[in-house]
Amino acid sequence: MPEEILTDQVRQQLPAAGSVDVVVGIPSYNNARTISHVVQAAQAGLLKYFPDRRALIVNSDGGSKDGTREAVLGTTMDTRALLLVQHPLNPVHRLATPYQGLPGKGSAFRTIFRVVELLQARACAVVDADLRSITPEWIDLLLRPVLDLEYDYVAPYYKRHKYDGTITNSIVYPLTRALYGVRVRQPIGGEFGMSGRLAGHFLTRDVWHTDVARYGIDIWMTTTALAEAFKVCQSYLGAKIHDAKDPGSDLSAMLVQVVGSVFSLMETYAGVWPGLDGSRPTPILGFRFEVGLEPVPINVGRMVGTFRQAVRDLASVYQRVMLPAQLHELQECAALPDERFALPDELWVTIIYSFALAYHRRVLDREHLVKSVTPLYLGWVASFARQTEHEDASQVEERIERLCLVYEHLKPTLISQWPLGASEKR
Amino acid sequence: MKSFWYQAILAPLRELGRQALTSLSSLLGMLVLVLLGLLVGWLAKEVVYRVLRTLRFDRLCGRLGVGQEIERMGFVHSCSYLAGQVVQGMVILTALLAGLNALGTPLTRNLVERFFLYLPHFLAAFVILVVGILVSRFLGRSVLIAAVNAGMPAARLLAGLTRFFIVVLTVVAALDELGISRTTIIVTFAILFGGVVTTGAIAFGLGGRDLARELLQSQFRPQAKPEAEDQMNHL
Repeated sequence: MPEEILTDQVRQQLPAAGSVDVVVGIPSYNNARTISHVVQAAQAGLLKYFPDRRALIVNSDGGSKDGTREAVLGTTMDTRALLLVQHPLNPVHRLATPYQGLPGKGSAFRTIFRVVELLQARACAVVDADLRSITPEWIDLLLRPVLDLEYDYVAPYYKRHKYDGTITNSIVYPLTRALYGVRVRQPIGGEFGMSGRLAGHFLTRDVWHTDVARYGIDIWMTTTALAEAFKVCQSYLGAKIHDAKDPGSDLSAMLVQVVGSVFSLMETYAGVWPGLDGSRPTPILGFRFEVGLEPVPINVGRMVGTFRQAVRDLASVYQRVMLPAQLHELQECAALPDERFALPDELWVTIIYSFALAYHRRVLDREHLVKSVTPLYLGWVASFARQTEHEDASQVEERIERLCLVYEHLKPTLISQWPLGASEKR
Repeated sequence: MKSFWYQAILAPLRELGRQALTSLSSLLGMLVLVLLGLLVGWLAKEVVYRVLRTLRFDRLCGRLGVGQEIERMGFVHSCSYLAGQVVQGMVILTALLAGLNALGTPLTRNLVERFFLYLPHFLAAFVILVVGILVSRFLGRSVLIAAVNAGMPAARLLAGLTRFFIVVLTVVAALDELGISRTTIIVTFAILFGGVVTTGAIAFGLGGRDLARELLQSQFRPQAKPEAEDQMNHL
């Protein structure tokens, strides 16, 4: 019997099965400052674009102490200001509940999916609670492709500053694209739309006690949708601006959860990705418009310093992961003067493939392994920042496209080494 | 005269013959036990090797860093095979001791008895040593990676110190388990450790305050604050 993650109290608060068409889920943890805005945007979007649908907003909270749940339930809005063309037939219901399980976004999503399943809702959208740039149109763009065009999964497509989302640009997007042959530009964007069928499918998987339950949920959902051939599209949402990040958030812990999840999923779908060649585009829905982006200050010198130190001090770790030639090339990069510092795309891609193989072969403790990618990743960011210093958004996008092609081009070397297990010496 | 011949020559010869026969049978018994031990040891080695290989023991050892350590020590076989060889050695040793016991002399009996009394301590010390070395390697690597990621210039020094102190503690615990000059070891360790700490404190506190400040600043303080803080959203 599957584990029930909703308490009796929450189940009693839910409307009857079949009485809700769409659900908007908002995972949260101490987001009282911003969540009211997100709830208002979601409610406005539902009233404006889905006036004849029965809708529910679910806040799945990780035990906030700052009144997040009260903010969700207490948010009010003047619907007259929305200038609605059609009067809504149904009110938008709200539910705020703490989630069960490991602390993290994944557990919050699980609760939302369970609500979707119990209510037999047709579509579900999930949006982050710290968003400042969300508009009612986002709800339409995430839900309509599911309701009207029969898509199962809607990934977001944003305009981002060239130094924003560098893990996505350097590893997650190009690697996911090369592996599964589908171009989803923001596979870990944070906002998604999905069919009730796919939400139910996610619930059946036994991943809720792994890193997926924490912050690996985004890449896990996207990969599952791609690898299991669900119908996927992207919706153009404009700019993504969210609350200032937690300064205490640890980059290496983030890498462990996200990149570790990508590597782990390579094992799950080892029967799928080796058979795929090249990549195909994914439809982008919604009106494409230009947006102004806030500058992102970065300190390239410090990143290069961390990279150089890692090449020197973590050589014993890297020797167990990389080929001697790769390590030698890294040492050559580290020896370059600051103004000429660069990490070639081919070297970067072979390094990531080497780490993926090392993860698969378990040559090191997996957490140590992925954490040791951090300074190399900072080296890539520094190199990318130097190369794109004077480039505009389209030139930067072309550069990322070239990196993606290198990932695709070198994929056969990854495949050729993948089946090798632990050494079989006697 | 006849009685003299019997008492002086024949009786001792008969006794010698009887003792020789007893010794020979004991020797034969010992030989059989050792041969049996060799056979059972070989079988045990093969069984252990195959079972461990099926259970992917080599992969586990590789993950824990034991495999690489063993390779570095010059062993050419896998961890599963080495574990089989250890079991084989223990079986043969046990058979050898049983054979010695079968000789029935007070010396061999005493030897066997003492060996079996000491064996649990020896095994416990071995386990302490192995676990301690593994923990030191794991924590040393954790410290190294975390310190490099935090941009601490003394990352290798910190990792080395972590490994060193854990290994020292492990060796002391293992020797204590073996009962080797227990008091001497503990006193030596305490004097050594206390001495290092006291010397460091005096040196840093009195002798070279400026040097200590500079050293601490250069070694343990993360790199100087950048003019512009990163405000990147990496995801």
